[in-house]
Amino acid sequence: MSGTDADNRRFGHMQAALEELAFRRSEALAMGGKEAVARQHAAGRLTVRERIAGLADAGSFREIGQLTGTGSYDAHENVRKVVPAPYVGGTVAIDGRTVAVGGEDFTVRGGTTFSAPRRKGGQGGLVEDFAYHYRIPLVNLVDGAGGTVATIEKRRHTVFPGIHGFERSVSLLGRSPVVSAILGTAAGGPAGRAILSHFSVMVRGTSQLFAAGPPVVKRSLGHDIDKEELGGAGVAVDKAGTIHNAADSEEDAFAQIRRFLSFMPQNVWEMPPVVPCGDPVDRCEDALATIVPERRTLPFDMRRLIRLVADLDSTFEIQPTHGKSIITTLARFDGRPAGIIASNPMIYGGALDNRAARKQIRFMQLCDTFHIPLVFLVDVPGFMVGLRAEENATLLEGMRVVHAAAQISVPTTTLVIRKCYGMAGMATCNKNDVDYKLAWPSAEWGSLPIEGGVAAAYRREIREADDPVAKEREIEERLRPLASPFRSAEAFAVEDLIDPRETRPVLCRLVELAEPRLRSELGPRSTFNFMP
Amino acid sequence: MTKKKVISPVTGSVWKIECAVGQTVAEGDVLMVLESMKMEIPVEAPAAGVVESLAVAEGDPVDEDAVVGMIAS
Repeated sequence: MSGTDADNRRFGHMQAALEELAFRRSEALAMGGKEAVARQHAAGRLTVRERIAGLADAGSFREIGQLTGTGSYDAHENVRKVVPAPYVGGTVAIDGRTVAVGGEDFTVRGGTTFSAPRRKGGQGGLVEDFAYHYRIPLVNLVDGAGGTVATIEKRRHTVFPGIHGFERSVSLLGRSPVVSAILGTAAGGPAGRAILSHFSVMVRGTSQLFAAGPPVVKRSLGHDIDKEELGGAGVAVDKAGTIHNAADSEEDAFAQIRRFLSFMPQNVWEMPPVVPCGDPVDRCEDALATIVPERRTLPFDMRRLIRLVADLDSTFEIQPTHGKSIITTLARFDGRPAGIIASNPMIYGGALDNRAARKQIRFMQLCDTFHIPLVFLVDVPGFMVGLRAEENATLLEGMRVVHAAAQISVPTTTLVIRKCYGMAGMATCNKNDVDYKLAWPSAEWGSLPIEGGVAAAYRREIREADDPVAKEREIEERLRPLASPFRSAEAFAVEDLIDPRETRPVLCRLVELAEPRLRSELGPRSTFNFMP
Repeated sequence: MTKKKVISPVTGSVWKIECAVGQTVAEGDVLMVLESMKMEIPVEAPAAGVVESLAVAEGDPVDEDAVVGMIAS
């Protein structure tokens, strides 16, 4: 470790200290050592340093707390080795914008919590403080199971839950975008930390997330289950919706994070980024005129409709595999970000079930927090019905959507493509806003659909008829012309009917109109109300 | 030879079966149409192959995620 003579002349008495600094830095970069790194790679996973490099603009990582670790010393108190702390963090640039980033180093003691007076990362860690105080986004690269019972022996007592609490993690959600990637097996604190995010992603096949893993399940319930079955993306993303999106690889997860952040402002005091748009605003697609099938019981491809109206290749869908009766996607109109909430008639005819309801609430709050105007593309027959739906508290979850919609403050446009019924239909409007409702001529709406509604409302008249079936038909036929959207437009019960082909120019204009209004209302959302 | 489950995407009832056991199908072919929330929801073949079995008949109620048939390919 001796420097050259030239170094000695230049740095004099600092020479030894600089050498020790260089040594300690190299120890940090070696992480848990060659064998541990090889094991991480063999499991199909990257090291935390490779992850940061894969996420960030080239060469932009500025590390915080690089020297933290456990040193070993010789008899003269000279450092011989440093095992780094199992957490690596700092700041990086992503598309030129500064972002705080950090993650557990699984190659060091499986990424377990490092007991230091101040935490490097995770809930309440320094990396989180950087995001909070500098008002920059935070990316958590989660690969660890949190605390270990072994620390009890070291401390000689047990700690009360929350000594490192989630207060900072929670308050950060109202200030800057927070993203979590689950890149290994996450349980306990890191799993909880990951939930407190605006967007989360996990890798299908190599990452799992749960409140507690298979050994605890075995001990608590006597059930044998492996970790992929218990907390793989099939459960955590598709079924539960605990994590927003699944990725095919870690690289795909990083690409999704970059894509998500490209729609977000650095913090709530800024506007989301507008990008140049090469797609003409007046692109009017003929396919839109025929996309809704003539037979009203046939579904259609709402994702195709979105592609036909939003800027080319501008969408980023959130939770595509959960709560599938609605589609929630970030998109751009003439380069300006917007959040699209669209019914998906392929699943339950677009009816809102408990999963879709929760998904819609999360997405509305995301857009509301970061000043992204909302566009509803509506084909909703109502709340989901049936025993399963009642057991899943669909009415409660559905009314929570209505409750959330009544509290958002971003400009909102409602465009009814086909059906708009009942309280689920109500949840596609923002009554605090201008509440400008547009519709295609294919639209129909009401408190409830005529089919089925007639049987209930005219029960006696139908029952007493000679031919009850014919009577029900007759009443339906009598009411149907009155349900024409032209009648509503005539009565100003809906503000405008548009030619489906005009949809893109109309939406581009409304999203543009929202911009100065959003600019005048920057800052944190102040609303907090009792949630039923 | 691999077997693939045909999964019902929704809760509802079987309206029309549009394939027969032993029939060769392409990926994406409509095997049956369910009725759910007053809509006609197609159930497509998850892979090309032969319809090995059908677990439901017209008029049967089905649950979301239920296995309604098997494709051998």
